[in-house]
Parts: sequence; C-alpha cells; structure tokens
Amino acid sequence: MRLHFRITRALLDSVRIDLRRPHPFAHERVGFISAGLSAADEDVLIVAREYRAVLDEDYLRDPTVGAMMGAEAIRKALQWAMQDRLALFHVHTHGGQGLPGFSRIDLRENAKFVPDFLKVTPQCAHGAIVLSDNAARGQLGFDPRQPCMPIDSFAEIGAPIRKWRAA
Amino acid sequence: MNRLQRQSFLGEGSEATLSTATIGIAGLGGGGSHAAQQFAHMGIGGYIPADPQCIDVTNTNRLIGGTLSDVKKGKAKVYITERLIRGLQPRARIHAVKGSWQAATELLKQCDLIIGAVDSFKEREQLERFARRYLIAYIDIGMDVHEIDHKAFLISGQVILSMPGCPCLRCCGLLTDERLEGEAKQYGAAGSRPQVVWPNGVLASTAVGLAAQLLTPWFPRPPEFTYLEYDGNKGTVSVSARVELLKGSICPHHPPDETGDPFFDIREHMKRQGKAGAGPRMRRWRSWLRGLTGRWEP
Repeated sequence: MRLHFRITRALLDSVRIDLRRPHPFAHERVGFISAGLSAADEDVLIVAREYRAVLDEDYLRDPTVGAMMGAEAIRKALQWAMQDRLALFHVHTHGGQGLPGFSRIDLRENAKFVPDFLKVTPQCAHGAIVLSDNAARGQLGFDPRQPCMPIDSFAEIGAPIRKWRAA
Repeated sequence: MNRLQRQSFLGEGSEATLSTATIGIAGLGGGGSHAAQQFAHMGIGGYIPADPQCIDVTNTNRLIGGTLSDVKKGKAKVYITERLIRGLQPRARIHAVKGSWQAATELLKQCDLIIGAVDSFKEREQLERFARRYLIAYIDIGMDVHEIDHKAFLISGQVILSMPGCPCLRCCGLLTDERLEGEAKQYGAAGSRPQVVWPNGVLASTAVGLAAQLLTPWFPRPPEFTYLEYDGNKGTVSVSARVELLKGSICPHHPPDETGDPFFDIREHMKRQGKAGAGPRMRRWRSWLRGLTGRWEP
C-alpha cells in the first residue's frame, strides 16, 4: 500500500503564508490540514480540504521546542476531526528548499498525538506534514499499535502540476 | 537518437515527467481517440482509456486508428486505442477499460489528468464532479453540429480546463439544469448525432496543448482555468468572454469539503489488503497481474 497526498496550490500557498507569520512568543507556527481519504486500488489517496491555524492563545510557552500546542488546540482539532469525520494532519514548516525532514522531536510528538485522533475517528487515518518552501514530507498513522507510515508521494495541483516522491 | 528530442524545449526533465504521468480518457470516439494518439506521440507513459463501445462502420469517418478490418471484427474502441498507443509507446502503462468510465473509477483516481470526451451533459457533470472530488485536473472537449436553417449548418465546440477550486462547467454555463433536464427528456429518442473528423482534431489538439502546459514547465504561467470556444464555420478557437467575467471567482458548485470518499474506512481498506503493508514482492506480482489482465483482449 502506498500513500499519495494531493493538495491544491492555492491551499498550500495559504498554509505557507500563515505559518510564516511571527508568533508573540513561539519560535514557529503550527496548524492542521484536514483531508478526505479514498482507496485507489491498493493505495490510499489523501485529498486535502482545508487549513486551520492554531490560535495564538492556544500555544504554550516551552523554550525547548519551536512551538508547543496547548490542550485547547488539541481539543479543537479532535472536535473538528470527530464532527466532520476527517483525516487531520498537523503541519509546520522548516522553510528552505528541497525535501524537508521531521526532527527527532517532531517524530516523538507525532507518535503521541496520532493515537489520540484515532480514538475519536478510528475509521480515518491521521498524521503530520512538514513543509519546506517548495516541497513537503509526511507520515500517516492508522493503527495505534503501529508506527506511522511515510507518505510516498505529493502532488501540488495547480498550473503546472508539481509532483515529488517523498519516501 | 531519441524519439522525443525535438520537444526538449518542453523543459528539463520533461521526458521523465511525461513518462511518469497518467492520463484518463473517458470516451474514445472522435475526440478521445485523437487525444490518445497525440499523448502517445508526446511520450505520456500511463493511460486509463475507458469506453464501452465497439467500433461500427459509422465511426470510421473520425475514429483515429480504427480500420475497416476492426469493423469486421467488431473490435472494442479501447483496444483500438491501446494498439494505437503501443505503436508509439510499446511499454506504456495501459489499463484499458471496456466499459463506462464509471467502471474505472479506482484507476481514474490515480490519474494526473482526465480528458472528458463524452457525449452527454449528464456524463460531463458526473465526470467533472468525480475529478473535483479527487483533485484531478479535468479537460472537457465537445463538439456539435447544428442545423440552423434548411441545409445550413453550424459547427461549434469547446475545450474547458477545469481545475479544482477554479470555475467549473456550471460556472461556464455549459452545464445548466435546463440542458440536463432537456437531455433527460430526449433520452433514448435521439438518433446518432452528426460528427466529423476535423473539429475533433482541433479540439483534441487544443486539449493536448493545455495538458502539455499543465504537465511540463515550458510555458511560464499557464492558465488554471480556461474556456476556449471553437467556431467550425470560421475555423477559429477563441477565449470565451466568460473567462474574463469569471476571473478570480471561486467555484460555488464544488466546495472543498467534498473531497475524498465519505464512506472510506481505513480499517476496511487494510482488511482488504490482507495484512498491513503487503510486501514489495506481492505488490510487484499484483501489478504484473493487473497489467496482464488490463491488456487481455477477448
């Protein structure tokens, strides 16, 4: 099974613009991308829908990480996933060019929050995306007992269409 | 010597880009067969052609690749298209579907682009809705011959590039409730509509040009939406006045929260897979089997 992520250029641009805004105290911004899922033969398509930023007041002061979400940010995201039966992807950016990579802290935090989302919407899968200025990498979890899987490919739907392999 | 060297201006890596691209073609009559031929010339690597019909003698005035021998054998249009493509791209990834495009949705979801060369407004609407649901670029082509007076005819047609988030066929006024209702009332009553080869060629070439702009970097700022009108009497293709009117507008007919399959359940999908992450050996075997069955011709 391979995982393919599709997002419109307009949505991806708006995510990048939002994540570049400075925060009053956090070093970076984070948000969530919602997506619909679909089977495509053996593979799974992840089709992005909407972006929601984590609100300024929902960040915690934690100098050991770039950004730390508070419980209220997680609660709102869980509510969103549950009500709309969505796949949710935590998103942040490392900037720069080329294929970005998750940091050790990113991987640790992803492993913590994905099982919580699977509890409220076990029919969906959830994960995380890290962006650069011209690419992205991601992972998806669908079973709390198993580690997240890497997203194999990304497609940015605009004119021209951009595709890249990410795993 | 490389077969595609004279199109190297399409951009660095364009040959690889085209080779990895997959294009769905719904309808393989005059428009779809023309488009398939040109995609094969261009070096597109993957094809999902779908059409339920077999060639008949009245198709031979426009069906590219179709022969009188095919008529005698009652050959399916998808296999004529497959033969046409393989003559230029022997190793192309072709999953020919002898059936309506609705029978090929699992395969069409994986396409980078879908060309709609279908006859009815209803099918156009369904196909565009499908493409929007899975964020797939859609290019619609269509032509018609109207009798405007006794023995006077008007040939018209359109090519519309419909990208997710951008204006759609309804925004363009091509699809309206009146047209859909009118078509539904006439269902089964109409005889075969007049069709000729050259307008199909113009429209298919225009669509293939748009596809080249979407897939390769040769054109600096390709449009994300366009509506091109064909006047077959004058022999012109021009940008519809609606393009300017719709500039910057967001399509209200296909909201982004409709993407994906509302009934998808990852647990069921994994069950169908047998076990999580079938190994690469199994994937290769399944892929080989799919390729074999896709090429199988009754």
